[in-house]
Amino acid sequence: MNTNPLNLSTPDLDFSGKTVLIVDDYQEMRSIFRDVLRSCGADVKKIYTAANGNEAVGLLKRVQFDIVLCDLNLGSGKNGQQVLEEAKYRSLVGSSCLWIMISAEKTSEAVKGAAEYQPDAYLLKPVTEASLRMRLARIWAKKEAFAEIHQAMKQSDYSKAMSLCDQRLASDKANAADFLRTKCDLLLITGEYDRAKEVLESILAERDLPWAKAALAKIFLKESDLDAAKVLLEETAEANPAFLEAHDLLAQTLQAMGDLEGASNVLERAVKLSPNSVIRQKNLGNVAMKMGKLENAERAFRKSVSLGEHSVLKTADAYVGLAKVCGANKNPDEAIKALGQLVKNFVTEEVRLKALAVEGMVYHQSGDTEKAKQIAAELNQFPAIGNIHPDSERSLDIARLLMATGDKEKAITLLQGEIRNNPENVTLLQDVAEIFDQAGMGEEGNKLIETLRKEAIALMNRGVLLISKGQYEEAISAMRDARAAMPINVRVLLNLAYVVITYMQKNGPAPELIKEARSSLLAANDLSPGEPRFIRLMATLNEFTPSV
Amino acid sequence: MKDNTGSTPSVQSMENFLASSVHDMKNSVSMLICGLEKALAAADSTRLSTYAGLVQMNHEAKRINSNLIQLLTLYKLGQKIYPFDPQSMGLDDFLQAVVAQYMELLKSHGINLQVHADPGLYWYFDEDLISGVIGNALNNAMRYTRDRINIIARENNGKLELRIEDNGEGYPVQMLQESVDNMRGVDFQGGSTGLGFYFSAMVARMHHNHSRLGELKLENGGSLGGACFVLYLP
Repeated sequence: MNTNPLNLSTPDLDFSGKTVLIVDDYQEMRSIFRDVLRSCGADVKKIYTAANGNEAVGLLKRVQFDIVLCDLNLGSGKNGQQVLEEAKYRSLVGSSCLWIMISAEKTSEAVKGAAEYQPDAYLLKPVTEASLRMRLARIWAKKEAFAEIHQAMKQSDYSKAMSLCDQRLASDKANAADFLRTKCDLLLITGEYDRAKEVLESILAERDLPWAKAALAKIFLKESDLDAAKVLLEETAEANPAFLEAHDLLAQTLQAMGDLEGASNVLERAVKLSPNSVIRQKNLGNVAMKMGKLENAERAFRKSVSLGEHSVLKTADAYVGLAKVCGANKNPDEAIKALGQLVKNFVTEEVRLKALAVEGMVYHQSGDTEKAKQIAAELNQFPAIGNIHPDSERSLDIARLLMATGDKEKAITLLQGEIRNNPENVTLLQDVAEIFDQAGMGEEGNKLIETLRKEAIALMNRGVLLISKGQYEEAISAMRDARAAMPINVRVLLNLAYVVITYMQKNGPAPELIKEARSSLLAANDLSPGEPRFIRLMATLNEFTPSV
Repeated sequence: MKDNTGSTPSVQSMENFLASSVHDMKNSVSMLICGLEKALAAADSTRLSTYAGLVQMNHEAKRINSNLIQLLTLYKLGQKIYPFDPQSMGLDDFLQAVVAQYMELLKSHGINLQVHADPGLYWYFDEDLISGVIGNALNNAMRYTRDRINIIARENNGKLELRIEDNGEGYPVQMLQESVDNMRGVDFQGGSTGLGFYFSAMVARMHHNHSRLGELKLENGGSLGGACFVLYLP
């Protein structure tokens, strides 16, 4: 044997200064964990315990913890995952806090997808002193190795994060796999798809890794190569049934291809594996509703609503979906009840408007034309934009109601705006076409969509075309016109910023132009957060004003 | 077709009862193990007979736990809901964590265990499943070894080779000839249910890379001249 035997003693960890939270619904388990921690050297006065999710959140609000040991299953009320989500969402835990999720058996949530709310580790019961020491030592080391990179990512300094990643990749073999994965994430965020593809393909040549295939599929989706994405995702989901991210992406792909049946099958399978995702249940509800499977849709929306009850990640869409499906199912009372819950849970003007539009439609469907008209009239009084965040789905709901109550002209104006602002959004255009179709104006609608779409795309790209011909001033004025015509078109906003920035690169910066580019970029990011082009253009813009 | 909804339970509902009971038993055993660990920590290790008794009890409880985990895993694999999750692991850290569970017991049986891992060796595998497999092999080796066990981890021909070797009599010839996949025979007298080998072979095959599959082999010989439990992972 050419190697020395391993040193088999357990690592020494210094728990003495650490503040620890134990969350478990069983008294016996809490005291067992306390004993384990004590024998690891933790100070009893710094060990806190909580018997349920609400107690845990209460403590997390008051105390800054270094380590949280949290059982995934906490009986009734919030589960462990929801406690974690709330802690991260409300920034109750710092980035150095170690969060260990404990469960009786391995769950599919433990298969690391792209989820934002991940614990640092999952530990299976029984948790013994030896196993806790070993895992914590490993996780601590990893957390330290990634601290600087995560810090840079948090500050949106992606180029710094990337160069840190490359440095570590060259020296830290223990975490190489995770650095490589982070590097690919970064390339996807900044939209460097060609480089990302290169890295992913070299990873995949070496080893069949589901996350790498999913990342590659995401690039295909960005490039609108739906077929390639579908093939890859089907293969990945088949070979790795527990890798939920592949299922979710596949469902999204199939839906974009118009294969609702396929999308719903995929989501049903994913829901069987992991029934507790608010978002996945809502997506399933949406697909089922589009297929006209009202019972399935209702079940999924109800599940999403009830899961969301204890979650910071609850979504207004689930309530809206539930109301719509009840309305379509000739159950107006239940629909109105769901809308009542909606406005109670989400107290914003945006949500109130959305609820109103759906409510009007429910009355229309139940034959109460009087009330439907009344609501349509109320909605008509709102200014088109103003302080309210633009929301295409809400606009379509309002247009649907206006169509149904006879105010076709106003409905068409609304729909025209949506086409102009989203000429590349296939799903939305399909929805618009359907609204026209239901009003018996199918052919007219299709023509309108096609004309407006082409016009909008031509306008969107004119600035970039002019820039490529060297006509800088003309490019800026073309994009300013486009912004005036399509104020919430993300591509127009980004292109305006692009031509302004390119102009300044040639002719030198000017405070007014910097301001214009910045406002345009921020508006785009507000509409569609985190677009790679936004990140790149913002970085370039910041080079003009190093002080900001 | 026979109607199954009457007085006899359907296979489906039996399966579900078994799975939920196993889950429940697993929780109880977890508590039992934690209680025993606590008692062990408090016990006076100089009062040898009590201490050794506790160590043995703890070991038996852990064996029950790992059997339950394996049953539950097989059930979930059958239902296609097992969250299989290969990750890059450092073999030295991994093996250290696995054997930590056995140190007390090995000491009390007077068995010398050595772990040899190629320095800086990393591999992709499902940590929970492979530690279950190594646990099986260690339980077996402890039973049949004279006084030594070696665990060896190395790269061999593009695969990870994990060997658990002892200096006992070795496997009976019949076991070496039989394919591991067929070892399902229950031998209640000998205390072997076949579950361990069946589970291990299944876990080996679940690990795949491109078109290559993992495999389990049983040999005699090796560094200590006894039984060798050998796992290859692509």
